[in-house]
Amino acid sequence: MSHRVFAPMLAVLMLFAAVTARAQAPSSQPRETAARAAQQTAADKSRAAIEAERTRPRLSGIWRLSAPVTQLLTIDGKAPVLTPAGQKQLRGQTDPADRCLPPGTPRLMFTDAPFLLTQAPVKVTLFSQHRHVVRHVFLDGPLMLAEDADPTWEGYSSGRWEGETLIIETAGFNGRQWIHASGLPQSPDMKVTERLRLVDADTLEDLLRIEDPTYYRSALTTRVLFKRQPPGTELPEQECSEKLLEYPLREYAPPR
Amino acid sequence: MDTRSSLFWGAAIGALLVFSAPSQAQLRAGAPPPQATGDLARRDIRVPDSVPNISGTWLSQSSNRSILPMDGSPTPFLPWARAFFDNRTAAEARGEPLFDPNANCLPSGVPRVVAVPYPLDIVQTPELTLIAIEVMHNYRIIHMDRTAPPPGYEPSYLGYSVGHWEGDQLVVVTTGLNGYTQVDEEGRPKSSDMKVTERYRKRAPNLLEVDFTIDDPRTYTHPWTARAQFVWAPDARLAEYVCEENNRNKSDAAGKLRRN
Repeated sequence: MSHRVFAPMLAVLMLFAAVTARAQAPSSQPRETAARAAQQTAADKSRAAIEAERTRPRLSGIWRLSAPVTQLLTIDGKAPVLTPAGQKQLRGQTDPADRCLPPGTPRLMFTDAPFLLTQAPVKVTLFSQHRHVVRHVFLDGPLMLAEDADPTWEGYSSGRWEGETLIIETAGFNGRQWIHASGLPQSPDMKVTERLRLVDADTLEDLLRIEDPTYYRSALTTRVLFKRQPPGTELPEQECSEKLLEYPLREYAPPR
Repeated sequence: MDTRSSLFWGAAIGALLVFSAPSQAQLRAGAPPPQATGDLARRDIRVPDSVPNISGTWLSQSSNRSILPMDGSPTPFLPWARAFFDNRTAAEARGEPLFDPNANCLPSGVPRVVAVPYPLDIVQTPELTLIAIEVMHNYRIIHMDRTAPPPGYEPSYLGYSVGHWEGDQLVVVTTGLNGYTQVDEEGRPKSSDMKVTERYRKRAPNLLEVDFTIDDPRTYTHPWTARAQFVWAPDARLAEYVCEENNRNKSDAAGKLRRN
């Protein structure tokens, strides 16, 4: 075949494409109109969310616990009171952290490692150095768990602003993690409500309310403070799973 | 058909595929059609509007079994790298499990995570671009306010990434890789000298394309470039992925399977 043949063939192809497109046009019009309307609604919602964001306090930055949380006490200084079922579970298993399992919520917040908090109109995200855990908090409506939602370590989080305070509700746990390194258990029924606010420009407060009537006699309210880390603070990789390897890692490339 | 005509038809079909890719992608993401600028409500409001918006959730269109030069040329292995790759291929054919840090719940490293067949969630702030990766719950930090790793940077799986915008392209340069991992699942090797340059751009409002160039003079004869594509998925949310829940059936350094 030569180019003399290709040109007409290409022209036929293009004509065919144009005819097909024309033939499809009328039938797709109502769908397009509906799609445009949906797009407009979404754009309006975005604009409103962005406008609301301008008045909010800026929690974004790199934060780290102001002091290690060696013991989990309620806000009035008391030890949590467990139910008999909870007593049975207390330190009843090896620490999931020993197997590099994720700290989950709320244990991550009691872990002494820096985290980066990013703040967007409809999403707040926590990127922790610890186990490179990411907490995704969507600010697009109340927490709704699907009937068939997989139970998780982190749970499912939904956030909303109440004045200067960011309220995060989390549920949908697998009940396998401890809530604190001391071995306090959690059940799959646990629900965590956090209230985050700036105490001052460099101090972030997280007031946590942990409700888990299966294992605790009453809801447990505790408070942790985070200090803002200087700009440029790095979050170097820490690979917990390296300690589970039976042999050293190595580079296969021959040396330079 | 002679060679020239098959070349022509190859090119023609290729061109058709290339030009139809965005619409296919849109179909896969489902109606409604694209939001022209991505998800403005999911990035920091301090990011200037002049910067393209790539924030939000993207679904991978790649499978990372093999990462290959996108120009169709063979992988430009150096001799040791070819031997390494051939050994792995032969071991796999014999049914022997292959050593791969990934099988022990360690990160697949850059560039393998660029083409993971799992969703990404991108967050843009003025100083950083964050890419959360669903697989093995990880994230990449791209420093928009730096041009090089800090002095004494300890090599790592994901390396140290710096980024800047060149027009509508986000250019990300990653160095400081530890060389423990491979380029892809198939086992193209790497050294700790590898530099990866990624170029993120929106080929269509719904299609994020990443061309990434692998420059590793200790492993490959010359730099080569591969491509990954992601489709906009505003409603998708990253699932929790916990490798350590099933950290078994590991292979040892010799490639022997261990069950524990």
